[in-house]
Amino acid sequence: MGVPFWFHFLGLVVVASPAMLVALLGLKTLLGLRFFESTQAALTRSAVVIGLLASLAVLAMMLIFGTRHVPVEVGNWVLIEETGLHFFFHLKFVFDRLSVPFTILSFVLCGVVGAFASSYLHRDDGYSRFFLLYAVFLLGMVVSSLAGTIETLFFGWELVGLSSALLVAYFHTRPGPVRNGLRIWTIYRFSDAAFLLAALMLHHLAGAGEFDRLMGSGAWPEGTATVAGSSVFWVGLLLLIAAAGKSGMVPFSGWLPRAMEGPTPSSAVFYGALSIHLGTYLLLRVSPLLDVSPTLRICVLAMGFISAVYGAIVSRVQTDVKNALAFASLTQVGIITMEIGAGLYYIALIHMIGHATLRTLQLLRAPSVLKDRQMLENAIGGRLPAPDSEITEPRWRRSLYRFAHERGFLDAMLDEYIVRPFVQIFRFFDSCERRWTSWLSGAPVEQPDPSPAETPAPCNDIQEVT
Amino acid sequence: MAGIGTLIAYQLKPKNSAPSLPVSLGCRHGWPRPRTSDQPVNTVSTLTSHSTSVESTALSSQIKQLVEEAAHLLPSQGPIEVFVHHNTLHALEDLPFHEAVIRGAKQFGGQPYLSEQTFHKYLEAGRITLDDLQTVLRQDLGEAGQQRIAGLSTREELRLSMLQHLIQAGSAAELQWIIAETDTLKRFRTDVAESEREQLIEGALNWLQSPAAADPQFASLFSSYESLKRGGSSSKREEFALALLWQLCRNGVKTSAGSSATQCPLRPRDLVHSAYGFDSDRDVHGELIRLSSAYLDQGYADWPLPDRSKGLLAAFIELHADRKFQPTRWLRTLAAELERIRHQKISAEASVVESLEALGVAEENRVEVITQTLLSLRGWAGMIWQLEQSPRNAVRPVPAGSLCEFLAIQLLLEKASLTAFAEERSGRNTSLLQMLTDGAAKLETRCRESQGQHAFSLFQIAQIRGWPADEMAALDRTQWDELNAEIDAFTLTERQRIFQEAFELGFRQPALNALSFAFRNRQQETTESVEASAKRARPAFQITTCIDDREESFRRHLEEVHPHCETYGAAGFFAVAMNYRGAAESFYKPLCPAVVTPQHFVQEDVGYTFQGVHKTRAELRRRLGRAGHSFQWRSRTLLGGIAAGIVGSLATAPLVAQVLFPHLTSRLQRRFGSFLQPPPVTTLQLERYAETPGPENGGIGYSLDEMADVVVRLLEDLGLTQTEQFSRLFIMCGHGSSSLNNPHESAYCCGACAGKRGGPNARAFAMMANDWRVRRLIAERGIELPEDTFFLGAYHNTCDDSVVFYDLDRLPASHHADFDAARNDIETARQRNAHERCRRFESVPTTVTPLEALRHVEARAQDIAQARPEYNHATNALCVVGRRDWSRGLYLDRRAFLTTYDPSVDDEQHSILLRILSAAIPVCAGINLEYYFSKVDHTVYGAGSKLPHNLAALLGVMEGTSSDLRTGLYQQMVEIHEPLRMTFVIETTREAMLSIMQRVPAIGRLCLGEWVHLAVIEPADRNCFVFRNGQFEPHAFAGEQLPTAKSSADWYRHQRHDLPFCLVKEGKTN
Repeated sequence: MGVPFWFHFLGLVVVASPAMLVALLGLKTLLGLRFFESTQAALTRSAVVIGLLASLAVLAMMLIFGTRHVPVEVGNWVLIEETGLHFFFHLKFVFDRLSVPFTILSFVLCGVVGAFASSYLHRDDGYSRFFLLYAVFLLGMVVSSLAGTIETLFFGWELVGLSSALLVAYFHTRPGPVRNGLRIWTIYRFSDAAFLLAALMLHHLAGAGEFDRLMGSGAWPEGTATVAGSSVFWVGLLLLIAAAGKSGMVPFSGWLPRAMEGPTPSSAVFYGALSIHLGTYLLLRVSPLLDVSPTLRICVLAMGFISAVYGAIVSRVQTDVKNALAFASLTQVGIITMEIGAGLYYIALIHMIGHATLRTLQLLRAPSVLKDRQMLENAIGGRLPAPDSEITEPRWRRSLYRFAHERGFLDAMLDEYIVRPFVQIFRFFDSCERRWTSWLSGAPVEQPDPSPAETPAPCNDIQEVT
Repeated sequence: MAGIGTLIAYQLKPKNSAPSLPVSLGCRHGWPRPRTSDQPVNTVSTLTSHSTSVESTALSSQIKQLVEEAAHLLPSQGPIEVFVHHNTLHALEDLPFHEAVIRGAKQFGGQPYLSEQTFHKYLEAGRITLDDLQTVLRQDLGEAGQQRIAGLSTREELRLSMLQHLIQAGSAAELQWIIAETDTLKRFRTDVAESEREQLIEGALNWLQSPAAADPQFASLFSSYESLKRGGSSSKREEFALALLWQLCRNGVKTSAGSSATQCPLRPRDLVHSAYGFDSDRDVHGELIRLSSAYLDQGYADWPLPDRSKGLLAAFIELHADRKFQPTRWLRTLAAELERIRHQKISAEASVVESLEALGVAEENRVEVITQTLLSLRGWAGMIWQLEQSPRNAVRPVPAGSLCEFLAIQLLLEKASLTAFAEERSGRNTSLLQMLTDGAAKLETRCRESQGQHAFSLFQIAQIRGWPADEMAALDRTQWDELNAEIDAFTLTERQRIFQEAFELGFRQPALNALSFAFRNRQQETTESVEASAKRARPAFQITTCIDDREESFRRHLEEVHPHCETYGAAGFFAVAMNYRGAAESFYKPLCPAVVTPQHFVQEDVGYTFQGVHKTRAELRRRLGRAGHSFQWRSRTLLGGIAAGIVGSLATAPLVAQVLFPHLTSRLQRRFGSFLQPPPVTTLQLERYAETPGPENGGIGYSLDEMADVVVRLLEDLGLTQTEQFSRLFIMCGHGSSSLNNPHESAYCCGACAGKRGGPNARAFAMMANDWRVRRLIAERGIELPEDTFFLGAYHNTCDDSVVFYDLDRLPASHHADFDAARNDIETARQRNAHERCRRFESVPTTVTPLEALRHVEARAQDIAQARPEYNHATNALCVVGRRDWSRGLYLDRRAFLTTYDPSVDDEQHSILLRILSAAIPVCAGINLEYYFSKVDHTVYGAGSKLPHNLAALLGVMEGTSSDLRTGLYQQMVEIHEPLRMTFVIETTREAMLSIMQRVPAIGRLCLGEWVHLAVIEPADRNCFVFRNGQFEPHAFAGEQLPTAKSSADWYRHQRHDLPFCLVKEGKTN
């Protein structure tokens, strides 16, 4: 039982503890059992504490033994070996300078928010649902931060996306949250598609999805990419799109305010703190690609810059606490992306961690804003300094205000220039197909089914039952 | 008596003349009516502003008036910082309660009562009894209850069955499913009694033998079950009985003509929504919420809305007019439209008229459409109206006329959205008006309420009543009609109303019994031992608290701890209506009921010795405050955020500490924060030197005469006019509440201090009453205070149950022992109080000790994750106005407001009672009714769940980031509340009460309209009378004994639910 065994063991514990939590809470729901709130809270607490301790232990061992790269192999989940067809889904986790801090951060923030939620959601109907989704989210975060292969990362990434969308739609009796949850889900799927394409291309280029193989032998961040050429740029660009979707960067920023529909704790940890940084984490993970392709670097810088400026402008006009914080987060995520683009990987990592904790605290304390303000006003001895006096002239300042007020028209533009043509094309195909089939079958052209909203409620009487 | 009865009946009459109530009447004909059918109605270009200016002014003022009328229906909650409880349906208060809730359901879409299912749960649990239901039904029906319906049952029996058994109902599709997928038509309902089952089967078999069975319409039924004539299994017979019953019911309903006219919605959005499923409010509200929030913002956003000072419409025009770029499709027509409005200088009112015409709203429907339109976003509209009306409540008020502009914008957006939808739907050739007309026609053709639903109800009732089939088959047409009409008449709302009355009776009856018992009991004791009471020793100490229901338990425990103390209840501002500014505060805040505008100003001063320290600390606070503010602010900006982000990891410490160790954190904060607080010794600047009151130096305070007025008034209210009544130590105890992360904190504080903390009022009163010059003045008015009576101000925090005392330095040495003793008692009482409160918190085991309970409530107040720092007024249901000596010892379960009033010191005109009740009835009823409505419908009347609340514009809360402002109380606050109207029990005569009802319209309206229940206990003959239908009726009290308990804790231990009344023995004096 030497050092490698302990590394392997502890590494597995880190992943297994949230996985066990998901299994327990999920099975319980599946079997229709009811746990006391306190039982669920205790389970959650122990899973987080065990995971946190194990990851701290791994960190301690890495520091003691000076190891900078600890791979933990779990084996292949799927392996298809046939002639001419070679597919495998390789589960592998890596502990290094990037993943360990991020994992610890995930555990700490999720732990705090779990404790917060267990009293905040006390007696709520959705208590157990919340904690199940919370467990899925935690597992997703841990898996994606520790992922050693791109397919493992994708797996965790999907869990995070799924749980986030469902948590946004937590209050499913009101239409707003459900609609917004769906919208977020759509944007996630879009960025997932980019991610999947990138993963396929990487497999194609390197023959495997392992980051070590792709990014060279050195431990993070010193690895050098083993692949080269223009394909790196395209892979990188796809990954950038994936990251942008996940982190709500321009042009996907429209989902950020929508994500605030859930209960305060989930908005705090998921969108304000962890989930929003997952995109930048992905960029950090594949950072060696940036070193190979300067064009890609410029794209990353540009993306970061645009998002940061956008966030900074838009957050200026927000009049409610959660929106203001959401866009403020976006500003910082943009800056972190710029730091990554500039090659300041350590600074980006520190910035990410600091920003995540600070934002969690601010979001959890969001309802106190009014009281804090009163305290400040009492301390200062007068009203807080008024914001810039009224904007009247020049016209560009008004335009800027309008831009911020309309949140940069991002959602409207997506709807108008992407979604609408897309839908229209498919409507066109649909009508072609109907004409086709009617011509072939000789039947009259069927009208497309009306949307459910257009259908009046059925009002036929109870049928005769014999 | 009769004379008064008629007088009251007269007052009740004009219920339909409520001025601010647009009555909604459905249109009966086609909708809408374009003026000429071939007129091209492109909404943007063809509408011109009204020609003559005279006409337009008249129109403008008409629209203004309509908007004002509609505004009365908007929620009247102001900025959340100052949360004042009030009747949610205040606008409908002129109507009797039951009419108002139904009108409310129509107008606001809120539930009038708890759901029938909930009432059934109460019925099963025994909280509502059949007896009570029957009593209420009898009262409600009177003679008519004994009438037989179609010869089958009496009306009362029929209705009772419909109450007792939940009749399944639902949409046609739902019933279809029930019939097809369950064995409803094969097996009896499980709640059909054995005897009824036999009756039903027997009746069915009789029918089979009868000639009626040969009727061809029953042919299929007859052929499948004919074999039963020769006998068959019981299940087969059951099946037959039900199949026959079902067919009979269907036939009976089918032939009985009953049609209800459908109402087509007046509001264009509603019409389009129900006809085409398109909801323009989704588009419109998204825009409008952002706009209103920016307009109303009290300083949260860094950039204010441009041209805010010019008004909402102007700001909106400046924002959107003349803009080429507009990706949002439905908003594309808007820029030109706004440009036109700006160019032609069209006023908001004129624009409203234009839009209404473009939307095809007929002139007679304007009121209703305007009302419904505003109500669709009632939170924001209401807030605009509030800031417009009472600008002093806000830092940045809005100019008058804003609501009208809001409406104009809402209609402009609605028009744009609907026009875009009309185009989208069927190309450019369909105009908006055309679509609306088509939609109305489409709705007309929709079928009416299905007869199957009727038949199904009847089918279930027949089972429950056990109506034999042969008798039903013999019913003729008129009898069927009668039966159907009867069942129709007892609608869901009617059933709920009866349930509600029975629900209240189930509380009121025991409450009145308990109070009558206590009253007689006490009176007997007093008469038996007149001698003893005359010689009774002075009380150990006296304490006056607010009348608040949360102080009931505190007082009770105090009396249990020290049987020789006396407690009093008075409205928590203690007659000191003032603007107050603390030593560490920047602004004056009114500390008095919200309806009063205080004239006086009082300020807390730091002792002269501490001036220097105070200045340094104030400066330090100022610097730290500035630094804190700029950190908070900059952390949201671009560059500041980088710095904040890099050092952000440091936030882990406060984050973990505040969430995981709230109690420890707050202790640390207090220890290290003490050097920031004002110095420990402060005093109130209470005496005025200048002639008139004002906020500046000389004007601060009261003159001696005014102080004497205050003191006399309160002592009279408390019935303390004799020298021998006073103890050596008289504590005045204000109250308030503190909790973290709670925008609604103000709702937890003292209602009599406008949602603020009432400590300073108690402190001020004590200082006034201690002043020997004031004492001399009040002695002249006949109240001579003993020289050794010392008044002490205190403050009770109802959330963490702490009690602090003011100005202890002024306590004479002679009183130290008295104070120490009293403080010990208070210490024990507050622990017990915390213990009693903890029984309601599910997260606390019922086995905690009082000390643990106290620690728990302290932690609760400091926990940022706590959604229920305390349960506030939840469960309130009773208000007792009278001397404490008889209500003392009653366990009232924190459900009662207790106001002290001594009828023996009152004058002929009952002027003391009048002034007590003028405050107590409206305030308590306001609290009670707000709880009622928030509980029965927490989505429409309440603020929904607290979990997604998001503070917007520093004025209120939204759900998520784009919703209406939520008013009322949130779900977590009212979850344990039983929505009962408050019962006032007043120790006075019937005549006095009737005269007060006449003299104070607010009281008369509430009592006559049955918004509250009223009962009096006559001090002379000790009888209790209940006010019903405009007159007092004797309360039937048969001398029921109350159970007794050794202590409060004995009674409530290990119980979480509402408890019955009992007599706590320890609480008895002597």
